[in-house]
Formats: sequence, structure tokens, C-alpha cells
Amino acid sequence: MSGYNKPLPLITQLSKVFYDGCKANKLLYQVCADCGEIIFFPKQTCPNCMGHSLEWKESSGRGRIFTFTVTYDYAPPEFAADTPYALAIVVLEEGFRMTSNIVESDLDAIRCDMPVEVVFDPVTSDITLPKFRLVGRTE
Amino acid sequence: MTIRGKTAIVGIGEVPTGHYPGRSFIEAAVAVCEQAIRNANIPKAEIDTVIPIGVVSNPLDNANVVCSWLIEELGLGRTAKSNFQIMSGGSSSANSLKTAAALVLAGLSQAVLVVHCDRMGTGLDLNTAITMFAKASISQEYEMPYGWSQLALAGMLQHRYMHETGTTERQIASVVESLRKWAALNPNAMLRTLKTADEVMDSPIISSPVRKRTMNVLADGAAAFIVTSAERARGLVPQPAYLLGVGSRCTNFTSTMQPLDLMEAWKPAADDAYAMAGIRPADVDVAEIYDAFPTFILIGLELLGICKRGEAGRFVQEGHTSPGGRLPVSTNGAMMAQGHTGAGGGVALLVEAARQVMGQAGERQVPNANLVVETASGGVGMDFHVGVLGREV
Repeated sequence: MSGYNKPLPLITQLSKVFYDGCKANKLLYQVCADCGEIIFFPKQTCPNCMGHSLEWKESSGRGRIFTFTVTYDYAPPEFAADTPYALAIVVLEEGFRMTSNIVESDLDAIRCDMPVEVVFDPVTSDITLPKFRLVGRTE
Repeated sequence: MTIRGKTAIVGIGEVPTGHYPGRSFIEAAVAVCEQAIRNANIPKAEIDTVIPIGVVSNPLDNANVVCSWLIEELGLGRTAKSNFQIMSGGSSSANSLKTAAALVLAGLSQAVLVVHCDRMGTGLDLNTAITMFAKASISQEYEMPYGWSQLALAGMLQHRYMHETGTTERQIASVVESLRKWAALNPNAMLRTLKTADEVMDSPIISSPVRKRTMNVLADGAAAFIVTSAERARGLVPQPAYLLGVGSRCTNFTSTMQPLDLMEAWKPAADDAYAMAGIRPADVDVAEIYDAFPTFILIGLELLGICKRGEAGRFVQEGHTSPGGRLPVSTNGAMMAQGHTGAGGGVALLVEAARQVMGQAGERQVPNANLVVETASGGVGMDFHVGVLGREV
């Protein structure tokens, strides 16, 4: 297979849990057992109460697009061949946010507040990236 | 204790912003320091603290200014007490101003020289610059894999702003028109030809809805300012720029985590600055608003309480922020027209704010610039700072 030449996520003890989840097609986030804070990006210490009792939960993978952009030019060099591509900040149902790509969708149809759902893209044998597609609008 | 009116900017220096391959880093840095010292009429021995802002284009230049390069070049080695760096990207202006004022107020410094110099136009090739900006201030674990860039960030900010407020692309393009009009009057600006909103709208989309003409352009540039006590300032220059108020909020690292409601998160910075200065938004004569991208000027007008939420686009389109308008905004042309110099966009705006208050803005001098507000923001939009400068305490 052709080599995947775009940046891969930095794998740490913490992010490994998240990406192991993605590999199993589960989108994980954290909840603080002490104060109930919903946490993402994953952390070692609760940013609300500084507690350490953080539990992993599985997200429904459904959310809405807070905002987005379609990049046509001046992309980072590794992404130049992929233009146009869509980036979005997605707010998940559980209340946490991610930045990811909108894929399998008509890029011209994307609007703020549209519903999306997660799709898992196994970009290498080790790394699966969570991405999103418009709900009910797949091409 | 309030800091209101107890310190002032007494001297400023700046070299033209643009592409100057023949102008070395130290040549530009020393030039603006010398200008600021002469402009302040201050014996250089009174400058006991030098604060170099972070240099983005060249790590070696940065290491050297951290290690007191300017103390040696300016001959301050017999009298200086401290040389140290302040770096918070685009908001380095605000953080160095606060630090300088606090040092003077506490009696730890007589006069503080803040210097920014960088060579973003000729010291970096475009691919290196795009790559660097695409990887700084993003999460390596969770954002890096998706093709994020500063232009994508600007596109996302603009889309949401347009969605929430009904602001049109043409209104956002009119910000560029206004800034180009100011830059045409600024001999230190890089992009001095006029551009109409129509011409801006005719340029291609780069990262929707950001177009080629709503992107900033990287440039070489340098600027400096000197802060001393209000009492000392009165003995040095006919019109100091008194520091009347400051306010700040620092909220996030990544753009993913930027507060969804910037008005709620950042307006308190403006409220704090106004309260300290004892003024209201209606009292402001000039607003030097940090841009990086034109949408940020509109958000800034609303954060400053100059426009109601969603009305800034129309305000700019009607010409109120342009030369001769009722509220001149970003009178140096800001980063969209003066040029993006790394961490220096905010410094250039702060220096312009002082210049207007001191009555030294030449062709673009705003009459009765008694109260000038200036803003700054760093990183991906990680913070928001407001300063108020005035002619009287």
C-alpha cells in the first residue's frame, strides 16, 4: 500500500487510550468522577476540580458543526494534494468538542449547525482517525 | 492600587514594514531603539530594562536578543539592570506594556524599552512559514492530523461570525478597503495601494470564506516604545501617551477550545480597561484594533462596545472606520495592510496608538485623538487585551 505521508497524532500514554478506542470504532472522552466535568481533549488532571478520577466514556459520535472551512490553497504541504478538504469544529452530543475533517459529504453543502456523525478512517495499521460526515447527506 | 495615569509611553520608533532582504535583523532593531530614545528625549542611561519580544523567523536572533544583544549594541551595559523576553505571540504588546508599567510603578525600573524586530517576509520561505504556523499552537495529539492552518482558523472564525450575525462577505471585504485607505497614508505600511471591497471580493477563495485579499501578508518589521513614570514623562516630552487602563482575558490554547461565545469570554477585558480608565465606549476617539484577519476587526469593534453585536460590518461598510470617519480604526493599516511581522502586529498597533495620542501621525493624524484604545490577541486567538492611552490624566 502507498505510504501515508500526513502527520500522525502524537501518541502518549493518554492519547493511546483514545486512539486504541478509535481503532475499535469507539469515540472516547473523559468524565471526572469527582465533579462530573466532561473532558476533551483527554487530560491527566481534571481542569475543573484538579481531581484524578477521570473515567473514559464512549460518545454517541453524533454532533453538530459549530464552524468549518474548506481549504482550496495554501494548505500545509502534506495536505496540498488533498485540496479541497473540509475542516470543522464539531460539538458532540455529550458537550465536548473536536476539530476534524468532514468527509463523504458534498463540501459545498456544509453549513454551521448541521448534524454530523463520526466515521472512522484507518489511515495506517496503527492509527485510526475519527472524522465526520453530514447526516443524511452522504454522496 | 490603580495604575491609571501613573505611567506613560514617551518615545516610539518604527522602520518600514515589508520585504527588505538587505536590512539585517540587528540593523532594524537598533534603528527603532535609537528612534524611540531620541523621540523620548531621554538620556539612555535612564533605560534600565530592555524587553525584547520573541523573534519567530530565526531562533538564533531570538536567542541573542534574550542574551542581551541590545544592551551591548545600545551601550546600556553600565546602567541596565535587566534584559528579558516577553513572548505571547500577537499579544506580546499588551503583556510587555503591563510588565513595563508595573516595573516602573513598583520603583524597580526608571524607564523600560520594549523592542520588537522580526524578518517574517525575507527570513522565512513561504512553505516554512505555512508549516510553522500550521503546527504552532495546535494539539499534536488531537488536531495535527487534519490539515489545520492559520488560514483555516480564519475561515472557521469568519464562517461562524457570519452565521451568527448575518454579516456579509462584502462587509468583511470593506474592512480591507478601510485598512488600505489608512495604509495609503502610512509610509511604514507595506500594502499602500487602495483596494475596493469589490476588488477584494474578486480574489480567489483560499480557505472558505477567506479570500486571497482577506489574508494578511508576512513581512519584515521592527518597532519599539519606551515606558516611564507619568511624572518623568512630563519633563521629557510635550505630549506623553498616558496609560489610563488595561484589561485582559486569557482563555485557551487551541482553536478547538476557544470559547464558543467570545463576547461572554473576552468582553470583560474591555470592561476592565474602561473601568480603570473611567471612560465609556462612546468616549473613544480612535480604536487601534488587532486584526490578523478582517473578521477580527469586526469582533473587536463589538468586544469594545463600539458596535452592537452583529452591527460592526455595516458600520465599517458605511465608512465610519476609514480616514475622515467618525471612529478611525487601525490607522496604520494593521496587519492586513501594514504587514504581519510575527509577534509584532500588536506592537505596531500599540506604537500607532501612542503616535496618535502624541500627535505624531503625520498625514493620518486624527484630530483630537484624546482617548485611544488598542487591542491585541495572541496564538490562535488565545487571549484578548485592551489598553487605553490618553492625552490627559
